[in-house]
Amino acid sequence: MFVRILAIATNTLREAVRNKVLYALVFFAVMLIGVGVLLSTLSYVEQERIIQDVGLSAIRLFSALISIFLGVGLIHREVDRRTIYTIVTKSVARWEFLLGKYLGLVATVWLQVVVMSVAFLAVSWLTGAPLVAQHVYALVLTAGEAALLVAIATFFSSFTTPMLASFFTGGFYVVGHLTREMKQLGSQSDVESVKAIAGVLYRMLPDLESFNLTVEALHGLPVAPAEVWFPLAYGVFYVAIVLLLGSVVFHYKDFR
Amino acid sequence: MTTEGREVVRVEGLVKDFRPGLGIRAKRVLDGITFSVQENEIFGFVGPNGAGKTTTLKTLMGLIRPTAGSATILGHDIRESGFRKHVGFLPEVSYFYDYLTGIEFLDFYARLSGLPRAERPDRIATLLGWVGLSHAGDSRLRTYSKGMLQRIGIAQALIHDPQVVFLDEPMSGLDPLGRKEIRDLILRLRTDGKTVFMNTHILSDVEMVCDRVAIIVEGKIRYEGRIEDFIAEDRQQADVVLARVPAELATTLEERFDAELRGHGHQVEARVPEKRVNDVLRVAIDAGAEVVSVTPVRVSLESIFLETIEETTHARDRGAFVEEGF
Repeated sequence: MFVRILAIATNTLREAVRNKVLYALVFFAVMLIGVGVLLSTLSYVEQERIIQDVGLSAIRLFSALISIFLGVGLIHREVDRRTIYTIVTKSVARWEFLLGKYLGLVATVWLQVVVMSVAFLAVSWLTGAPLVAQHVYALVLTAGEAALLVAIATFFSSFTTPMLASFFTGGFYVVGHLTREMKQLGSQSDVESVKAIAGVLYRMLPDLESFNLTVEALHGLPVAPAEVWFPLAYGVFYVAIVLLLGSVVFHYKDFR
Repeated sequence: MTTEGREVVRVEGLVKDFRPGLGIRAKRVLDGITFSVQENEIFGFVGPNGAGKTTTLKTLMGLIRPTAGSATILGHDIRESGFRKHVGFLPEVSYFYDYLTGIEFLDFYARLSGLPRAERPDRIATLLGWVGLSHAGDSRLRTYSKGMLQRIGIAQALIHDPQVVFLDEPMSGLDPLGRKEIRDLILRLRTDGKTVFMNTHILSDVEMVCDRVAIIVEGKIRYEGRIEDFIAEDRQQADVVLARVPAELATTLEERFDAELRGHGHQVEARVPEKRVNDVLRVAIDAGAEVVSVTPVRVSLESIFLETIEETTHARDRGAFVEEGF
């Protein structure tokens, strides 16, 4: 079982590494991190903070874009090109295929986050911007958020077209950053049903803002251990649920 | 040729309905098909485009679920997955990971099939040699020709040394040389003791390699059996060319022997049932005609196949007329 999942994961990683479009995306992200240096020259104060703000935002934005861009076509492309036929007709369970593809794509996205992070750390070091542990926490949680987004994209990719999957996953990304506000607004409502619906949506939709430590990193604010491990544990749990649902849908899918 | 052994594939009353969309009436693609494949035979599953060949194969491979009916491979229900380690599959039109080299491609499937790491290089080298691609093992699949892709596809289907191999249109789109190479590989599979199930609409290939066939038309099996039995004896004919044919002999040939006559100047060509050639010659010589030549007419599988399809279509159309009250 593990050998099969690993084979599918490494093949997915190999496909991504040989895909030139990704290099263009990562190059663009690294360039944007560098652009932070130029932007900082427009200000006389807090130049280092501007550099790091632009850098961290670029990493968050591009890791999300790459996750959605790659994830939405992950399963659909295999079905569309019929490459999946020769795999699931061997002794490979469909959930093994889904999990292997997911892990391969997470490895790909994390590899890109590492490349972007190295660029960020290099730019920070060269410009003399302070580097603290909070920067590392922020980058780790960015990688966690990317893994969660890949799972959501994989789920939608298991039963719909890339266009619809990108629409849905993009929607989850946007709403996922607004769930706290939604819960707060709901709790302020006088209507009980609105309160209840807001509460249910808050529990069902991913709380992506919990993966955002950018402010803490930029201002060197203290970060409690729970602010790091809780989002990560929450992410693992959410990914497991989403992949489980995806596996069930995928299990009953007809490859016509 | 093969001797009949145990059943490797058994299909019983298989039905598959496809619903094109919500609220749209389901279309029956397979309508209760039943057939079996014996051990160590090359079985041709033949039918025109859209007859249900690929749907049948996809159902057997577990890619789609049957609406009703049952099927077993090597005695296992097709809904199981454990037995698939004994099954090889080459899909129609080989879309493979074209960014992989031939060796990487086969190594990937070897890992999926659970081949131990130590055995993989030897197995891959053997198979590459077997399909004639030893020289292309380090080239990426995107540089392969269609024939090479089909051959590497067959290699992946055999990587785990399966007992039964399913091939979907293995010779489709290949040039004559490519088709011959694939035919030779399929024949060699039988020599090596494998059972081969082959979907195809290229009838000349069926005649050359298959031991038995099933013909599917519009989701129903129209024939299952040996090709020789399908091309029945009474379908065989011969062209008898006669010279100096008296008028009364021509009439006799038409009326008594059901002959189709064509005139060529002083010669007449009569197409008669092959088993009545001797009687025709006797009557012709007695009537004073001169026998110029006798040529057997080979009735191809293709012509009988087309007849079968036309009969089915006509029967369906007649049925539709009756139903609609015409």
